[in-house]
Amino acid sequence: MIPGVSVEGLSKSFPGTRTPVLDNVNLTVEAGTCTALLGPSGAGKSTLLRAISGLETPDVGRVLVGGQDMAEVLPERRGMAMVQQRPLLFPHLNVLDNIAFAGTVRGVPKKAARADAAAFLELVQLEGFGRRPVTALSGGQAQRVAIARALAARPAVLLLDEPFSALDPELRAAMHELLAQLRRSVNPTVLLVTHDRSEAAAVAEKIALFSGGRMLQHDSVERMYSRPATLETSRLMGGANEIPGIVRDGYHHSVLGVLQLPGDTRQPPGPGVLLVRQESIEVGARNGIGILATVTGLRTLGPRRQISLDVAGALMLAEVPWGRALAPGDAVALSIPTSVLAVVAAPETARTFPDVGEEPQITGQGRNALASIEN
Amino acid sequence: MALTLPPEFSTPLSWPDQPGNGLRTSQGITRVLRIMLALALALWFLLPLVPLVLWAFADRWSFPAVLPQAWGWEGARAALAQGAIPAFGHSLLLGLLVSAIATPLGVLAARALAYHRVLFAPAVNVMLFAPLALPAFVAALGLNVLLLRLHVPPFAGVVLLLTVYALPYTSYVMRVAYGAHDLAVEEEARLLGASPWQVMWRVQLPLLAPALARAAFLAFLVGWSDYVITVLVGGGTIVTVPLLVAGAAAGTGNDATVALLSAAALLPPLVLLLGVGLLGRRPSGKPTAKSMNGNLP
Repeated sequence: MIPGVSVEGLSKSFPGTRTPVLDNVNLTVEAGTCTALLGPSGAGKSTLLRAISGLETPDVGRVLVGGQDMAEVLPERRGMAMVQQRPLLFPHLNVLDNIAFAGTVRGVPKKAARADAAAFLELVQLEGFGRRPVTALSGGQAQRVAIARALAARPAVLLLDEPFSALDPELRAAMHELLAQLRRSVNPTVLLVTHDRSEAAAVAEKIALFSGGRMLQHDSVERMYSRPATLETSRLMGGANEIPGIVRDGYHHSVLGVLQLPGDTRQPPGPGVLLVRQESIEVGARNGIGILATVTGLRTLGPRRQISLDVAGALMLAEVPWGRALAPGDAVALSIPTSVLAVVAAPETARTFPDVGEEPQITGQGRNALASIEN
Repeated sequence: MALTLPPEFSTPLSWPDQPGNGLRTSQGITRVLRIMLALALALWFLLPLVPLVLWAFADRWSFPAVLPQAWGWEGARAALAQGAIPAFGHSLLLGLLVSAIATPLGVLAARALAYHRVLFAPAVNVMLFAPLALPAFVAALGLNVLLLRLHVPPFAGVVLLLTVYALPYTSYVMRVAYGAHDLAVEEEARLLGASPWQVMWRVQLPLLAPALARAAFLAFLVGWSDYVITVLVGGGTIVTVPLLVAGAAAGTGNDATVALLSAAALLPPLVLLLGVGLLGRRPSGKPTAKSMNGNLP
């Protein structure tokens, strides 16, 4: 029976730091699912993982596994295993004995533990590596051994602390596939710490977004992108377009015009910032139907292009595939589906992080247009 | 389902001590110089032993003869008669006791300094090193009176003082070892189900074994080779090898005995050094030819 993991009101401070590393975190991860703890460095994600594992004692709050409070349970008895950014293999044991470690400390006879370990070695596609010293492994191999070692402990909860961030993109993609495969065969509850949005989206069903020790939002991957609850969430999820305006009768009024909002919009009538993912904007020819805009700049993003747009004074970004010839100054029409729109509270009420200017980018012309809407 | 992960067999693997590793090979003049330096160093260590060995078995060797004129066991007989065997026993016991006490103490001090918040840590560091700065002669003379007044038996007094003198070495060696020791590996072991005791026995101890062996060896040497403290605090009741050698050397006509005792005194540390060298290799962390070739498909 695979248990779920809950964190209730968890706070943690370290001596010498002014702000808490974790500030009243509440999070529930359902049994057998994978949640990515996403956020910038220093957001408290790793500390949360360590608190869940028992390596760190929370100042306040509880960690529950399968409904049971873990406060009095030692780390080795929590039924968890962790894989970190460094493989942290035992240098004095060979590959097979590393994987058999969990078995042997539980009193499984060495021979049986090794046979079991060999099966896990096979699972991570490293058959025949058992007798190698761990110093003879490449980074990717060592990380796979670390995963096999963690799985051999039969953890009900698998904690992954940026386990793939040191690997090259190709190997990382292979490891994501491996993780998906392992989840199908072993099915533990997984918590994955990462600062990579695309990794979180590729591996997990849900994302819990952290910033400055607070959990901002915990939602499905799709909703994290399409329905951010605050401006801060939107920015941390990489959202670039913020259009201030007014919400009235299910419509958003702004320099973009009057746009119908999706049915699940919860923003009350009044001022609200319209959020549009740059990937969701379709850029078409001027003669087509849509919001009129002018291209102000182009930037290459590998397989895609980022286009800066001036939409009636509001500055917007759109990501489009290569193909259409576009140049600064071109007049284009934007098409934005209703389902990709989201509205959040205006910046003065939203909690934003300090590095970013609170005011959405808008030109003088746009500001005048906006003023006319508000009146 | 089928999944293809890069097998990475193309990556050539070699260790610095394996043939073919580019890091350790020197070429041309560097190579010649390296070999010559090695030979000079070997000569430097071995040359003083040659007359020692010759003297040990020379019953008569007078100037200007190049080699002894008469070979025999006179030196050995005299050494045995003067109590060489008990002296070796005392030295061995002293070395082992000092090592057995100073090594764990060094471990505790080093662990505290490395992992815990120690009040006045710099001062503690200086205190641990202080015995090195204080001449043994001064410490022995000063403390001897105290030890006598406290009715501490001479042998216990000698062990106590020598332990203090061994502590700088053991704490320093262990401090360096703990500095390089990764606590995250121990945490990993905990999460894999190991109790704190199991972590100590199965992870920490094997990883620190080389450093422990080095620390224990240095502490043994302090006990094995001491003269001043054994004489002053032992008050002549404990006759160790250095005392016997010094006594014989002070007399005349004892050249063979002195040479034999000195040469023999080299053996126990040499044996231990070899043992430390073997322990210094991490148990199965090092690749062997078998483990390398045996598993390649």
